[in-house]
Amino acid sequence: MLLNKRLLIGLLVSAGLFNACHEQDKKSTVPAETKTMRIPVSVNDSVLLSIDKSPMDMSYFPDDYPKQKMITPNMANPVARVIYSRPQMNGRIIFADSTVTQNVIQHYGEEWRLGANEATEIEFFKPVTINNKQLATGRYIIYCIPNPGKWKIIFNTNLYSWGLHLDKTKDLADIDLPVMKNNAEIEYFTMLFQGSAHGCNLVMAWGDMKVILPITVN
Amino acid sequence: MKYLFLVITFFCFSFFDAQAQTKLPELDKSPMDMSYYPDRYPVLKIQDKITEPLIARVIYSRPQKNGRVIFGELLEYGKVWRLGANEATEIEFYTDVKINDIKVKKGRYTMYCIPNIEKWTIIINKETDTWGSFKYDEKNDLLRVDIPLQNQTEITEAFVMAFEKTATGANLVIAWDNIKLNLPIAF
Repeated sequence: MLLNKRLLIGLLVSAGLFNACHEQDKKSTVPAETKTMRIPVSVNDSVLLSIDKSPMDMSYFPDDYPKQKMITPNMANPVARVIYSRPQMNGRIIFADSTVTQNVIQHYGEEWRLGANEATEIEFFKPVTINNKQLATGRYIIYCIPNPGKWKIIFNTNLYSWGLHLDKTKDLADIDLPVMKNNAEIEYFTMLFQGSAHGCNLVMAWGDMKVILPITVN
Repeated sequence: MKYLFLVITFFCFSFFDAQAQTKLPELDKSPMDMSYYPDRYPVLKIQDKITEPLIARVIYSRPQKNGRVIFGELLEYGKVWRLGANEATEIEFYTDVKINDIKVKKGRYTMYCIPNIEKWTIIINKETDTWGSFKYDEKNDLLRVDIPLQNQTEITEAFVMAFEKTATGANLVIAWDNIKLNLPIAF
């Protein structure tokens, strides 16, 4: 029964992927990144009333904090929270060098908002250390410069912008991280926290890539 | 027999292993969204069109009607609702504001609502980072305000919240299905 269910899910997923690829063929001349750049218009506009193509999500550390809080009396405050949007592969190449212009989401060496829509926001409810740099309690944006085998992750204070409205003078800390291999392909860009000996790791995964950002909680 | 046992054990372990690795969160059925006052603040910011400071932001999840009867069935009248789905809805003020003449200090709050046939009671509560309304505690309420409902002819499929400018500040517009209401915020 269980196996049957998994087989069925597998078939559905591959059918979905086939459809996604098919759809992609028709409009592959549109630069991929502009497709996720849906800019919302005014309150009464139907665009705002529809669901985002790359829906927003949030992750806490401790993992699943709001649910944990429901079952744990007197739980301490959370340590961190990230709010990001989840673009989908949709049969596209995630990263490629600038010679590839079609069916690619992001070029190597260019700043990426680590998600879609609004810039990705990370909040620390306690002071932390990233790559030997102290970051005070508070809110930051976090973005990425992807390169083959390596992502540079950067913390910046230029909050509340759509996409990246880069002000490099507001960069606070950065760290180069190796790209690891995932066993499974992950269709949706995903961020979540995991506990570590020094605090927590922010795990970022998409496609067959996985990157782990160590955060020391002071 | 021994082989069979080994094979079964192997399958069990590989199954549990696969389970352990696929812990990554799936896409939410009721996706999260956020709205700002000034409306579309992040877009205005990148276009250098900001004329007023940032006042408020709401983070909520968007359940969909999906052909269901919402009011009185999916949402029971008189029962506390998280005003969305998944995590309870969060509202943040970047400056002190007033709701129903009560001062609301700059900071993060959780919003709940008690739906009724002709009015909704909107609740601003001080306990943040919660899931659902399961542990809602009236003791942590900052304020409650009753808001009359307006009927709308066009159906709103996905629950939506957004801010609109008014003469005295802004309204938080809340709409779903055939119902709409405005929560006035003064600043």
